[in-house]
Amino acid sequence: MTTEEAEVEPRIGVYVCHCGLNIAGTVDCEEVAEFASTLPNVVVAEDTRYACSDQGQETIKKDIKEHNLNRVVVASCSPRLHEPTFRKTCEEAGLNKYLFEMANIREHCSWVHLHDKKAATEKAKDLVRAAVAKVTLLEPAIESEVPITTSALIIGGGVAGIQAALDLADTGYKVYLVEKEPSIGGRMAQIDKTFPTMDCSICILAPKMSDVGHHPNVELLTNSEVQEVKGYIGNFKVKVLKKPRYVTDECSACNECSEVCPITAPNEFDVGLATRRAIYTPFAQAVPSTYIVDRDLCLNKEGIMACDKCIRACEREAIDFDMKPETLELEVGTIIVATGADVYDPSSLPNYGYTRYLNVITSLEFERLINAGGPSGGNLIRPSDKKIPESVAFIQCVGSRTDKGNQYCSNVCCMNTIKDSLLIKEHWPDVKIYVFYVDIRAFGKGFEDLYKRAKEEGAIFIRGLPAEVIEDRKTRNLWLIGENTLQKELYRVNVGMVVLSIGIEPRPGSDVIQRLFTLSRTPDGFFMEAHPKLRPVDTPTGGIFLAGCAESPKDIKDSVTQASAAAARAGILMAQGKVTVEAITPRPIPENCEFCGLCARVCPYNAILVDKERERVEVIEAACTGCGTCGAECSFDALHMRHFTNTQILAQIDALTETEADKKIIAFCCNWCAYAGADFAGVSRMQYPPNVRIIRTMCSGRVSPKFVEHAFSRGAGAVLVAGCHPGDCHYIDANLQTQKRVEKLWKKMERLGVDKERLQLLWASAAEGERVASKIREMQAKLDKLAPEEIEKAKGVFAGS
Amino acid sequence: MVLPKKLWRTPLDTEKISLPKAEITIQPDLCKGCDFCIEFCPRKVLEKSDQLNKRGIYPPKVADESKCTICGFCTAICPDFAIFITEKKCKEGCEDEK
Repeated sequence: MTTEEAEVEPRIGVYVCHCGLNIAGTVDCEEVAEFASTLPNVVVAEDTRYACSDQGQETIKKDIKEHNLNRVVVASCSPRLHEPTFRKTCEEAGLNKYLFEMANIREHCSWVHLHDKKAATEKAKDLVRAAVAKVTLLEPAIESEVPITTSALIIGGGVAGIQAALDLADTGYKVYLVEKEPSIGGRMAQIDKTFPTMDCSICILAPKMSDVGHHPNVELLTNSEVQEVKGYIGNFKVKVLKKPRYVTDECSACNECSEVCPITAPNEFDVGLATRRAIYTPFAQAVPSTYIVDRDLCLNKEGIMACDKCIRACEREAIDFDMKPETLELEVGTIIVATGADVYDPSSLPNYGYTRYLNVITSLEFERLINAGGPSGGNLIRPSDKKIPESVAFIQCVGSRTDKGNQYCSNVCCMNTIKDSLLIKEHWPDVKIYVFYVDIRAFGKGFEDLYKRAKEEGAIFIRGLPAEVIEDRKTRNLWLIGENTLQKELYRVNVGMVVLSIGIEPRPGSDVIQRLFTLSRTPDGFFMEAHPKLRPVDTPTGGIFLAGCAESPKDIKDSVTQASAAAARAGILMAQGKVTVEAITPRPIPENCEFCGLCARVCPYNAILVDKERERVEVIEAACTGCGTCGAECSFDALHMRHFTNTQILAQIDALTETEADKKIIAFCCNWCAYAGADFAGVSRMQYPPNVRIIRTMCSGRVSPKFVEHAFSRGAGAVLVAGCHPGDCHYIDANLQTQKRVEKLWKKMERLGVDKERLQLLWASAAEGERVASKIREMQAKLDKLAPEEIEKAKGVFAGS
Repeated sequence: MVLPKKLWRTPLDTEKISLPKAEITIQPDLCKGCDFCIEFCPRKVLEKSDQLNKRGIYPPKVADESKCTICGFCTAICPDFAIFITEKKCKEGCEDEK
């Protein structure tokens, strides 16, 4: 802060938002505004119906000018939602955006204390008091700008990845499309027809695959995996492992090698219904069309060339067993995660007999069977005798909407079955079709028409899933036994083949992707978006976007829509050409520094250089992400953590412990996981005790032991430090420092005879609202039993902290 | 195209695929017992015989001829020309093979 600005008396405007009845239904906003007007330096305090509306924003702007405001507080929703909105409002009125602060009285107050209006109002007052205390000490800042690399990385070559790649490449950006399988195409390539239009899936996909394969702006990296991601929005450095195919681009896909290869194995692409060789191409339309050697199967092991049949058969000499894995280092500005989904494995449901009964197949196997290019040439044959069955039963919701599998609806299976039943009727009109369902969800454009058509064509829909499938040993037919819940009667149906309509699951490797890109996942296991309504393709990590089934189960149309959206979002960033770095990086204070180097040691990004001999400290701003764990480690006050300074946080603690401190839980929550988790609890209206007061830091690593001790010295009943799960930290591993510090504090508390249970550490992800809520409930229960002497004792031993 | 959790079915085209069948000829008395053929056979088709040959060592014998893919590696590495493989002249299923 310049001296000139420092001398100016703070003039604060406070706006308490009703958010319709979202806040005003529980919190007395007028009373809170009234209270705010009594706080020091507050010049204007008003309640407003919708602070974020045009009108609300205009009022703030007008007040800034009329009342010469130099600080603004809005008490409304989560800063994760509207902080950018109000910062912009301030900027438009000529106020530096770092002189704005939010009090979260919706997600963290009105929504979670719906039935205790008095306590909620008191809490809102406290939160406003803390926000005013912080805003008073805020300093204006100018953000530095970094250029954006105008290239994108797309992970996953399914239809979503392909679409996103084409959109970005057509816009003119360089795109790296990474696919771990030998060919792009994904799930859509396996499917026969698409609903509701009954287009041939591969016929509409293959041209896109070919386009992306030949696009001058697209570099296709198949049989490759992302190994490491470093950097930040606009400037990612990615390591990709490109595994060898052992076949060069000279390959003309003539299949001569495959014909002579003596090793056979089930083809994964055909779900094991057809055979492939050790040298193969997964399917005819594969892109790239270059063959690949499966070295796990091939007779030629490392260093021993036992078999050379394929080499001799290849006229173009395209086979090269000396190929080595390559690690490519890519520099990209944006990343789109389109890693797709897996299918549910029904062998874990013994009552349906999958893997025990040959004629029980999955819907994915059905797609390969009915496909003219598939293993049966498009003939719907049953595996036991290779004959066309006289009747087929579809069982819906296999692994979906059930405690035995996944809780969620897999979105596509109802329509897929309806499409499949029409396909059967088209080719073999005499085959009888039964569909056993829970609910038919035909919600999309043209879906209901298709459903009607299936019924008109004679497919019989029976509500109620079979309890059991039993095989007739002689005929290999199957008995389905269950209850028709509409007619309240038992059924016993005999069919030639059963198709299990299996659900969609997150990829087994999702945890690896999650860690590589520091993403969050919902309890279902799918990747979480930054905001479910307004930022549905953004991730909480800047510059990284989501598309396709990686985000949630969805059909082809939705995947393509989302892919184009993600490409547009990434394109916007790259078109701007630069990105601003939040001014939350530390500034060294050399006169306080002892040059001990501890800050440099805990920095996850090696962004601090300490030269002991020359007594110099330097922060590399471009590398720093502002987690603040250095600031928490420094015991000499020698790092000024901008926007989250020691004095600012201590002032927040002071404000929150001003009244009835002994009844309160002071919680420090990291912005990405714990704070977002508490927001999620709010959005889900999970109710918990109103005595908790949350202070936001970027990372739990920012929480200095001093803050905790200060809270206790102020008589706080309990303290909670909450961050991301170990391994999920948005600052690589800064939360490990949190753990160390809390453990140290526990020891200290024990030594000083303070109940260490009063300090709690919680790991909660952005999706674990209930985890946050139940922790608060648990702490409240303990707090209720806490004797006043205990509070006094802690106050005494930590006095002066 | 991710691997399903298990590929448990016999592929439908199994019967249609016929691979050339091998006929393995071993001349036991030429063998000096280096065991290269046993050790380096990628399909582990050979094993040690329990019968001594004229040189007083145990030559290889065929453990499972059906596993042989006629890669010819044993013939190539045998220092004593004691083993060679030919394609079995079989009645059915082999006609369409080269």
